[in-house]
Amino acid sequence: MTPRPPIPPSSYNRLKRSSPLKRNTIVIGITLLILATFAWAGWANWEYRKQAAERALAAASHAELVPATAGDVSAEASRLTGNPAPDFTLQDLSGASVSLTSFKGKPLLINFWATWCGPCKIETPWLIELQNEYGPKGFQIIGISTEGNDLKPDDKDGWAHDKAAIAKFVKEQRMQYPVLINGDSLVGKYGGLDVMPTSVYVDRNGKVVAVQLGISSKEDMAAHIEKAIASGS
Amino acid sequence: MEKPHKSLLRTEAVEYLYPEQVTLPAGKSSPVTLHFRIQPNLHINSHTPREQYLIPTVFSIPESSGVRLADATYPAGADFTLPADPNEKLLVYSGDFAIETKIVATPGDHLVEAKLRYQACDQNACMPPKTITVPIDVIGK
Repeated sequence: MTPRPPIPPSSYNRLKRSSPLKRNTIVIGITLLILATFAWAGWANWEYRKQAAERALAAASHAELVPATAGDVSAEASRLTGNPAPDFTLQDLSGASVSLTSFKGKPLLINFWATWCGPCKIETPWLIELQNEYGPKGFQIIGISTEGNDLKPDDKDGWAHDKAAIAKFVKEQRMQYPVLINGDSLVGKYGGLDVMPTSVYVDRNGKVVAVQLGISSKEDMAAHIEKAIASGS
Repeated sequence: MEKPHKSLLRTEAVEYLYPEQVTLPAGKSSPVTLHFRIQPNLHINSHTPREQYLIPTVFSIPESSGVRLADATYPAGADFTLPADPNEKLLVYSGDFAIETKIVATPGDHLVEAKLRYQACDQNACMPPKTITVPIDVIGK
């Protein structure tokens, strides 16, 4: 066995002298590294939690959007289907009282609409054509203006303004079927009416056969009308 | 005709984002930009819709709140066409939008309940007009 050469005294002493310093430097370095790692982990955790909280807040504040297709209905509206159409008595533009019961025995489309509703304006010519097409079969459309204005009963100016806007719309659109006002009073009976237009199809026995929220197409409406005519025959 | 995909709204269509608090020189008309967010798939009419029958978006501050709305500049809006009527172009806001206001505050701390009135629709249906409260803590110094 070859003996290890001795460390030169000068180098040995230098190493011996500098060793505690180096060790301290290493320990401090490692400590700082650990502290930095903890600090970074803490910051990253805080940032993650902050983003998660923001996401949760954003999700909570966003609308709950219910996907639907033509003919689909909200829970409130769907409860109408298969049940008798809730009765009502409303005034028309001339001030005459009109009740649902006055249309007894006829298949109906009760169409809730509003003057400020673009899709309602698009749909109106279809309704006029459908009334002309299916009217000879006893079918009747009833338009009910539902302005959503929360007018108080004693707000005469508000009601007069409302009525004038409805009359203007009816005249411009040449709506020839009965148009009633203050559909807002039927919110409880007809499932909220928070979507315009809302179309409720009723058979000749007074039973709701379909509810449609929003517009789809004239063909879809015709299909619902034919269903209402066929049902209860 | 393309089958529509319709969405029904369960909460507010428009949400006020910020600022929650502003500090203004008292008695001096000062610019404050208010930021709002419209829920996905919805739009609201601009402040100047092209059709008279449509309800415009309007911001207001109630009187006697110690704060006065001196001016409001609304975004122009963007063209939007309903699938069922490609010929009619609407002028609407969607996504995020901001109203640039000029506000005058009396000295003191005023918790203002400003209002934003709008009427929202998606591609196939509309919701009734709505007025939401826009809470802003206005400090006049």
